[in-house]
Amino acid sequence: MPCERKPMRYGHSEGHTEVCFDDSGKFIVTCGNDGDVRIWEGLDDDDPKFITVGEKAYSLALKNNKLVTASSNNTVQIHTFPDGDPDGILTRFTTNATHVTFNSSGSRVAAGSSDFMVKVVEVSDSSQQKTLRGHEAPVLSVTFDPKDDFLASASCDGNVVVWNIKEQSQLISWPLLQKTNDVSNAKSLCRLAWQPGTAKFLAVPVESKVQLYERGSWDHVSTLSDDLLTQLVNVVAWSPCGQFLAAGSVGGSLNVWDVSSKLCVERQKHEKGFTVCGLAWHPSGSQIAYTDTEGCLGLLDGLRTSTSNSTNTASKQAAVTKPAKDYDALFDDDDDDRVMDEGQSDTNSPVKKPIAGDDDDDDDDFLMPATGRVRSRAILDDENSLDTGSLKLGQEKCGDDDDTGSGVVPAAPLVPLRSAYEGPMPTPPQKAFQPGSTPAHLTHRFMMWNSVGIVRDYNDEQDNAIDVEFHDTAVHHAMHLTNTLGHTMADLSQEAVLLACPGTDELASKLQCLHFSSWDTNKEWMVDLPQGEDVRALCLGQGWAAVATSALMIRVFSIGGVQREIFSLPGNVVCMVAHGEQLLIVYHRAPGFDGGQALGVQLLQFGPRKRQLIHGEPLPLSHRSYLSWLGFTAEGTPCYVDSEGVVRMLNRSVGNTWIPVCNTRETCKSKSDSYWVVGIHENPQQLRCIPCKGSRYPPTLPRPAVAILPFKLPLCQTSTEKGQMEEQYCRSLLFSNHFSFLSSSGYEIDEEAQSQSQKDQQELLMKMFALSCKLEREFRCVELAELMTQKVVTLAIRYASRSRRMALAQRLSEIALEKSNQIQEAEPEEEEDYSSVRRPSGSGQSEAAQGRHSSRRYQEEEEEQEEEQTEEEEGQEMETDEASETKKRVNPFAKEGVSPMKTNLMPITKGGRANPFKVLGLGKPSSASGQPRVNNILDNMTTSRKSFPLSGPAGKQNKNTVLKPLAPRPKTKTQSTLLQMSGTKASNKKTQQNTQPTADRQKEPEAPPPASPADNTENKRPKTGFQFWLEENRKSITADNPDLEETDVIKEAMGRFRTLSAEDRLVRDTGRSGGRVPIRGEGHIRDGVLENL
Amino acid sequence: MDASEVEFLAEKETVKIIPNFSLDKIYLIGGDLGPFNPGLPVDVPVWLALNLKQRQKCRIVPPAWMDVDKLEEIRDLERKEDTFTPVPSPYYMELTKLLLNFASDNIPKADEIRTLVKDIWDTRIAKLRLSADSFISQLEAHAKLDNLTLMEINTIRAFLLDSLNCLYKLRSNQHPGSSKGQFADF
Repeated sequence: MPCERKPMRYGHSEGHTEVCFDDSGKFIVTCGNDGDVRIWEGLDDDDPKFITVGEKAYSLALKNNKLVTASSNNTVQIHTFPDGDPDGILTRFTTNATHVTFNSSGSRVAAGSSDFMVKVVEVSDSSQQKTLRGHEAPVLSVTFDPKDDFLASASCDGNVVVWNIKEQSQLISWPLLQKTNDVSNAKSLCRLAWQPGTAKFLAVPVESKVQLYERGSWDHVSTLSDDLLTQLVNVVAWSPCGQFLAAGSVGGSLNVWDVSSKLCVERQKHEKGFTVCGLAWHPSGSQIAYTDTEGCLGLLDGLRTSTSNSTNTASKQAAVTKPAKDYDALFDDDDDDRVMDEGQSDTNSPVKKPIAGDDDDDDDDFLMPATGRVRSRAILDDENSLDTGSLKLGQEKCGDDDDTGSGVVPAAPLVPLRSAYEGPMPTPPQKAFQPGSTPAHLTHRFMMWNSVGIVRDYNDEQDNAIDVEFHDTAVHHAMHLTNTLGHTMADLSQEAVLLACPGTDELASKLQCLHFSSWDTNKEWMVDLPQGEDVRALCLGQGWAAVATSALMIRVFSIGGVQREIFSLPGNVVCMVAHGEQLLIVYHRAPGFDGGQALGVQLLQFGPRKRQLIHGEPLPLSHRSYLSWLGFTAEGTPCYVDSEGVVRMLNRSVGNTWIPVCNTRETCKSKSDSYWVVGIHENPQQLRCIPCKGSRYPPTLPRPAVAILPFKLPLCQTSTEKGQMEEQYCRSLLFSNHFSFLSSSGYEIDEEAQSQSQKDQQELLMKMFALSCKLEREFRCVELAELMTQKVVTLAIRYASRSRRMALAQRLSEIALEKSNQIQEAEPEEEEDYSSVRRPSGSGQSEAAQGRHSSRRYQEEEEEQEEEQTEEEEGQEMETDEASETKKRVNPFAKEGVSPMKTNLMPITKGGRANPFKVLGLGKPSSASGQPRVNNILDNMTTSRKSFPLSGPAGKQNKNTVLKPLAPRPKTKTQSTLLQMSGTKASNKKTQQNTQPTADRQKEPEAPPPASPADNTENKRPKTGFQFWLEENRKSITADNPDLEETDVIKEAMGRFRTLSAEDRLVRDTGRSGGRVPIRGEGHIRDGVLENL
Repeated sequence: MDASEVEFLAEKETVKIIPNFSLDKIYLIGGDLGPFNPGLPVDVPVWLALNLKQRQKCRIVPPAWMDVDKLEEIRDLERKEDTFTPVPSPYYMELTKLLLNFASDNIPKADEIRTLVKDIWDTRIAKLRLSADSFISQLEAHAKLDNLTLMEINTIRAFLLDSLNCLYKLRSNQHPGSSKGQFADF
């Protein structure tokens, strides 16, 4: 393009500057941060006159020899021009004005201020002011409608508003800009400009484009953009003719568009790329003065605008002969011979390349595409276009084409104005981090806070140190290390401290391990990573350590420093944690969009069975959030927290899905508060975290205290009783998943907790059942019953029949039957497994655990039945309303049960009696496990159960002694035929024995005498059968064994619980045949129980 | 009742500690304590907290009121009001003394807290003396002891009661008609 960019010259001190021409165009007037207004007689003026208007000058406007400035004393003042004499204060604001401007006639001044107001003041009479209120943030710029009806303003609240001046009202408002809180923070000054003359368009700089709004309709009619203009447009200015629009951008680009053709006719670049913040056209339209934020003034000279074109048509015609130059001539008739300066080289865009065929100089290269564009544009335009310049261009172009041949023509269609990409924008990927650490830029920070201890980093000027402290001082004493290597990452386990530092130019990234549990004297090792590979994340498992590196690799070391594994990761690691033999890695799967992160997760298991459990599935995060914590629960279930405070946990029972278990934000008092998670426990259910007031992470001092949050699944309607119970049930199920996981991977589990959780679940089911019954939702009742164990179903049946829902009871009985059948079927299969499991384990708890549950069910059943008996005997009526009530009654019973538990003697006696059963137990425990678990609905029942377990020890002894031929064996045969119950009991006994193995063994010899409690249990069993079926008469009969058998037969005939009842009977029979001698004892005990009740 | 007895009572107050050892629930006559998980705060009586602290088995978390800002507020209020203002804890003096003596390293700004609590104490004792003085001089028959702590009452009880007894005797002897036998006692 044919304009000349004059060298910049220093004008003001660094900061915001503005520039304008005087009316005649003789002077350039600038103002700047130094509070001076300088009046330049052209760019070469070495001694500009200056007027000091204040400490700072924010904006100026000049018209009719009146210089209006906005200065730092919150006023808008007038000075005469060019003399610079103060001429009064036009208006005041509560804070500084940001932009002032004259209207076209110079009769009014508009000023926008940081106090959100826009004022329109008559220059002649400053008392005539109009205030435009409505912006909600500092005003960025104002501009007058040339016809004086409207005023447009832009504000930091993101709105561009058109005001009706007379009515002082908002006409229209467009939310076009980014919101900020101050002019100094605004990315763009958004200097608006109204087309002079016709006043048809309002130009609004929006990001890297300029949007034109049409006066009157206020529609967005077009957008001026340029491929090379990528940064925010700061300021726009119309040429005096109103045909061209100049824009200055943050990056220093200066563009001039021909508005009618929407073509960029001029591109220039600030020589140093500083932000252009002031822009003014010379009244003749041939020059543009601009200033930057560094206080420099620059000038573009030799611009050809349409006015000049029209005057020069003749010369153009002359130029036609040289087709490559014609365009040049068009705009540049004055000095055709001018050579492009370096600035123009910037303007070379790919768009121009198509004209490779041109053998002319650079100018031509540049021009050709431009002409091509113009031509196409002209063709599209109707002939009546006001834009004479472009029209002519078009005509000429046509002529050119003829001359230059086809080379240029194809280029034209290739240069449509590209519309900017408006789809979803990618989010910057989150950086790798260590879960449980605070940001690395802090001088005092946590490098790791986990369930083992705390690693702190102190990084002062004088020293850089790391403190390692253990929650449990039994693990190791606290350590203090000097951090000479500059470690930034750490992990801590019961065995070691792992530290890593990123590499520098000279030094490779290092991994340091303080293996304090090592039994030799070398408690430390260090590894250098290959040059150029940095540690991004690290973690410690049990006996191994893993690091993720910038080379997308995971390296696994043994805890002693042996390199064990290496594999590649599909994306940049985000973080990594380990627990036992599991390794959980989260990495970037892809770029995230719209504020979200696209993360993938892998779960690997090392140890003897190496395998990948989760194969890089996407990690679900809350909307527009990122990962903030990743870890395992103390029980080994993966879980993580996102920046929205939602805690999610892996649900292994539903195909490794992630369940949100808590939203820590819900418990925050204020929006800026958050919880910094440090650990999660499933048993007991605890979310351990540190409350942080007004921040995302805690300071190291004062030492933060850990708080405990409860979990809550986000189920619907948790305010209702139904919702609450459902939530509790689901949560209980979820948080008992780890039992099966742990036992399957060979760890010990807390059996008491497991049985407790199962009991709770069944209790909840029963409560929900009762609730549904009350609500007359029988279908729902059946659904619930299907979730219950068989024993609880029997309770439900009783409940249903008592509340006179015979249809429901009928259906439930079918379910009960089905369940019992399932149990039977499952038995044989499970038996095999069970036996296999047992042998290796010996007295191992895992085995016991499996067996125990099943056995417990039976015991519970029995107990329940017992309870019923006692109740009935007492003549109490079952309260059908609440299952809980029944529990209460049971309490006395439970107490009794407890006492036997504690006295070891009791169990022993049972054991002696139980021997015959033991054999059965060995074979059958598996079957028990297959059966649905019977958890007592009644809380108290648990205690009562324990009494049964006492009998268990005997069973266990049997197990141990199985190899030796014992008296019981013959009995086993009989049992093997049908006695499931006995088997289960035996298993129960075993499990319980495990807990007190030594005691049991000692007691074996003593076994026979105290058989009485066992007898009781057996007696009770028959009763259970009775009770189910409402026959009160039989309660009294329970004492007599023969009677019981008969009644059982009757029950069978009744059919619903045949199988079970049959089993019970058999058991009873066998027990008796086995020769429980001391039946007397039973009676005593029972009496005692009753008395207690 | 002497001060050590009051302190003994104060030791039943609970305080949060962060143990550095692991222990199951312990069952005591006074109630169950625990379970103790390393790093997890747990409420225990002061006597146990101090014992554990002395054995370096725990870190004590100071009570919420043991905070410079809150204590300054209380002190200012105490100075402003003529009557006794409510104190943060019925054993504030004892607890401050115990905790600051044995666990000052766990309490931020321990010295300031000590001074503040002493200020509050002095203000209150001065008020107490003043009101006792006016109580006697105005021959009041009864006084309310709202918001007084056991320790504060204890400091003045013995002296006040004795002196009241004395006064009573003296006054009863002033009346001519009163028994002269009492005089003989003296």
